[in-house]
Amino acid sequence: MIIIDDVHKRYQTDHGHGPWVLKGISITIPTHLSVGIIGCNGAGKSTLLRLIGGTDTPSKGRIERRCRVSWPMNYGGGLQNNMTGRQNSKFLCRIHGLREQEIPERIASIQDFTEIGAAFDQPVKTYSSGMKSRLQFGLTLAFDFDVYISDEATSAGDAAFRNKAQTAFNKLINRASIIMTSHGEGTLTQFCQAGIWLHNGQAHWFDDVKDAFAAYKETLPK
Amino acid sequence: MNIAKGYRSPLMITFTTWKALFLREAVARLTSGRSAWVWLLLEPVLQISFMLVIMTQLHVRTVGGIDTVVWLVVGLVFANLFKRTASQAQHAISANRALYSYRQVKPVDTVLVRAALEGFLMIVIGLILVAGASFLGYDFTPNESWVLLGAFINIWLLALGLGLIASIGVLMIPELEKIIAFANIPIYMISGVAIPISAIPEPFQQWLMYNPIVHSIESARKAMSIYYHTSPDLNLFYTTEAALFCVFIGLSLHSRFVAKVYKK
Repeated sequence: MIIIDDVHKRYQTDHGHGPWVLKGISITIPTHLSVGIIGCNGAGKSTLLRLIGGTDTPSKGRIERRCRVSWPMNYGGGLQNNMTGRQNSKFLCRIHGLREQEIPERIASIQDFTEIGAAFDQPVKTYSSGMKSRLQFGLTLAFDFDVYISDEATSAGDAAFRNKAQTAFNKLINRASIIMTSHGEGTLTQFCQAGIWLHNGQAHWFDDVKDAFAAYKETLPK
Repeated sequence: MNIAKGYRSPLMITFTTWKALFLREAVARLTSGRSAWVWLLLEPVLQISFMLVIMTQLHVRTVGGIDTVVWLVVGLVFANLFKRTASQAQHAISANRALYSYRQVKPVDTVLVRAALEGFLMIVIGLILVAGASFLGYDFTPNESWVLLGAFINIWLLALGLGLIASIGVLMIPELEKIIAFANIPIYMISGVAIPISAIPEPFQQWLMYNPIVHSIESARKAMSIYYHTSPDLNLFYTTEAALFCVFIGLSLHSRFVAKVYKK
């Protein structure tokens, strides 16, 4: 269960405070319920995911995670460019509390999933965007989270990888849930039951993700 | 309930994060660029050799009653410890930006770990230098080992404190970076690293004793030999006070401002 209690967020800019992105959001996301977050560009989808994942802190209000939540998977985030894929993996194993003797096995499974071959031992800065996506996805799946957070995580991969990611996602849903954003309606309805529609800094909860989409579409210019 | 499964205490998470960061930073420090680890050692060796050549030409065999080599090695190891720790700590936040995606890693962790790594590396480098110099016949047996260790810890703590302040400072006021880069040389000049403090006339000597770095370096030299004569105002606890003050200010700045600035 994730409790979001009256969360406000605004960013610091070079000229003082920026505008409020989120204005008082209160939502409780139950365990084992996958949620899609919908909204136009700049509505605060990624901000909300970063707050849920603990990457950023709310300006006001609080977020309580009563389960193991992944970091937000998004394009290019969380990888140290001058370190190799293997070194990045090792670092993540360590901060997630794996014992030294468990690490080699876990890294082997990450390497296996990514299928990037010898590039696994090359610095991440030499990777293509697709290879980065593969590594990030493999890294997140290597740990047993109750909730996975995906911010358009699979958008950069090739067809083969997307299929693989989809299968992995499907398997995941049996034991964990996903909180995700995507601009593809198909992806969201496939993985999510409930939906959150972000509009003007407010969040609207829908028990069915399709209703959230319908509400979102009504506000779009015809 | 899920809370119990895989629960780790905050202290435990902090320690595993520090360990992971330490190993990561160590690999980066020793392998980034061609033979980076050689240069780590070579830099102080070259500085010492250079100063030694100048002082030999000037026929300076002893400084304040101790051998010039001992005087230089202690001074330059301490000066390098200070400079590297402060500078590595100052740049810790921008160098590790990618890692703040993970909520286990806080900016202050990267600053603390970098400072710890520099301290550790300088102990190793210092021991190698002393071993090399002893092999060449110089006497490096300290008279008061505990004072030497205390001086080392104090100057490291001072560098950590200033690094903590600077790491936040340069994010809040980017111009600070230029000022700090400029300040390096004057600080070096007034810290008694290459110019003996005892050779500076009053009242200037008294003024220089307001610099906490001087107290650490001179205490370390005095710890090498009881015959070393230095300023009568020497007091290692002055460095301790300045260091603890800086660490306190640095940690306060981190807890107060870091969330606001490091995402910019």
